[in-house]
Amino acid sequence: MLEFDGLHKSFGEVRVLEGVGFTVAPGSMFGFCGSNGAGKTTTMRIAMGLVRPDAGEVRWHGRPLDQASRRRVGYMPEERGLYPKMKVGEQVAYFARLHGLDAAAATKASADWVERLGLGPRRDEQVEKLSLGNQQRVQLAAALVSRPEVLILDEPFSGLDPVGVDSLADALLGQVREGVPVVFSSHQLDLVERLCDSVGILARGRMVATGTVEELRRREAGRLLRVVVPDAAPGWADGLGGARVVSEQAGDTLLELTPDTDDQSVLGAALRTGRVTHFAWQQPTLVELFRGAVAAPSTEEVAA
Amino acid sequence: MTAPQDLSSSQLVRLVAGREVATRIRDKGFIISSVVILLVIVAAVVIQVVTGSGDEESRVGLVGGDASVVTALEAQGEALDVDVEVVELGDEAAARTAVDDEDVDGALLVGDDAELLVRESAGGTLEAIVQGAVGQLAITEQLTEAGISELDVPEVAVTALDADAAADGQRVAAAVFGVVILYSLLILFGQFIAQGVVEEKSSRVVELLLATMRPWQLLAGKILGLGLLALGQIVTIGVVAVVAALAFDIVEVPGDLISTVAIVIAWFVLGYAWYAAVFAVAASLVSRQEDLATVLMPTSMVLIVAFFIGIQAASDPGGLLARVTSYIPGLSPLVMPVRQAAGEVALWEIALAVVLMVLAIVLVVRLGGRIYSGALLRTGGKIKMREALAAERA
Repeated sequence: MLEFDGLHKSFGEVRVLEGVGFTVAPGSMFGFCGSNGAGKTTTMRIAMGLVRPDAGEVRWHGRPLDQASRRRVGYMPEERGLYPKMKVGEQVAYFARLHGLDAAAATKASADWVERLGLGPRRDEQVEKLSLGNQQRVQLAAALVSRPEVLILDEPFSGLDPVGVDSLADALLGQVREGVPVVFSSHQLDLVERLCDSVGILARGRMVATGTVEELRRREAGRLLRVVVPDAAPGWADGLGGARVVSEQAGDTLLELTPDTDDQSVLGAALRTGRVTHFAWQQPTLVELFRGAVAAPSTEEVAA
Repeated sequence: MTAPQDLSSSQLVRLVAGREVATRIRDKGFIISSVVILLVIVAAVVIQVVTGSGDEESRVGLVGGDASVVTALEAQGEALDVDVEVVELGDEAAARTAVDDEDVDGALLVGDDAELLVRESAGGTLEAIVQGAVGQLAITEQLTEAGISELDVPEVAVTALDADAAADGQRVAAAVFGVVILYSLLILFGQFIAQGVVEEKSSRVVELLLATMRPWQLLAGKILGLGLLALGQIVTIGVVAVVAALAFDIVEVPGDLISTVAIVIAWFVLGYAWYAAVFAVAASLVSRQEDLATVLMPTSMVLIVAFFIGIQAASDPGGLLARVTSYIPGLSPLVMPVRQAAGEVALWEIALAVVLMVLAIVLVVRLGGRIYSGALLRTGGKIKMREALAAERA
């Protein structure tokens, strides 16, 4: 297990993290979401030893990460970083060596990864001469070249075109299949929803929601009911007890029900207006979950 | 594939140093500057040879006369500090041709009345040599005729009051030359270090590096890697200079030259360690190459001041300015070699200067290392040293 446990961090007066914690199982992908400035980067930098936490620790296999075990972590910083004038192959090999591979193994691993990520013909070019997309691939190669046991990636998908997104997603899923726990942060929630086994939403320095996308949905589900009644007069649902109208447009009505309200009584009321073309509990998308979690400070503060 | 291993500090430092050497040695700027410095040295040696205070030479043609004339001419030349080369010529006609063609500076016709043929005028030295030789021969001849074969002429004993002056002068000249090289290399490699630090910061690669090593390991690797290159360069320069000086016979006492070169190299090592650390730490405060000049300015100024004091010390090695500055860390590497070469420095003074310099290096590495750690991950404008120190523990 990769465990982030009770991380606190202040920069001067600003309290950035106030007890951030979540766990990532080996062979699973964890999507780390949150608004800008929520503290995602700080959390990841703490894991990499670049920022010292005021309290809390990050553990791998039950032991706190230290300089030696961090060598087994592949990391991609938010601000991409490579030596601009160093050649692709040499650069990737250098990072392999910094992660503990010997010279021969590093050269071989570098050649393998450069080839696998489609950079073979660019191996002897300086990084600064490559397109941004290709530089991103070199960055990924630098993170993967040492066969890391853990991957921590800060916004790995930002700046990639759809093809680049797909190939990076494939590479990460490949790592997950080999049993590597992968943590990545992203604003692209559709991607997180598609790729991740579990999700954590960070807001105001705390985890406001963690769990599988399914779990989060279930927690939010059972509250929003969508009823489409094309023939109903506007305001048809206003008098219903236990249901609040969230939105209504030409009979397409979204209702929020209190827990003890019987949905069948709502259906009855709907049928009385005429045809009912749609009646179903709303499955919130991750975007809606995210908005709900980030927007309302008081509700559902699920700090770990 | 072998399993990845954990790395010790020295392995990490070696990896960083290895990368510095490998990238720098292929860098155009580095290659060009190295070649330029070597060319400057060769040029300096050539200029020394051409304008050099080598002995005057004179070719004298000789018609008639025997070996004693040749000996007498050469002896006279030696007394007057002129290398005399005697060319034996067949007859007067040949002598005239030789003088006309400027094959010889003058031709001596030995007969009952000795005659000196010259092209325009004899020039003081040539005439003096020939006059002296002929005169001496005549005296010897007449003495022999008078029956006196061995004339006991008392020889004048010469006691030089400042016998070392000439050698001192050469050593000081060598030391000044050394200080020029030392200064150039310190500036050059200081720039290299500073650019390297900013490159890592501006490209953000430093975040990836610091995920695998501590800031001091990165700093040590960079200073060590470039230091090896710098040392290689100054040793090469030293060897080239010594070989050239010996080959062209510029110096009189080779041992003195070699010891001066060794002193300069030793001070270079101390000076480099200090300036490289200061330059690296200063550079860590900025994130863009454009801002580099501003933060390096104070240190560059110290280096320039040290350079001029070093040059000045050559003319007044025992003066107050040279004495005081030769103890001050940062200035001492450029002043002390000159004083040592001039030979007017006590052993305790050298020891004091070295100890102070080493202390200063330790201080800069420890304090500077903390500033460097605190500043590396902060990008944006220029960071104040105080902020960097505060951020180091963050």
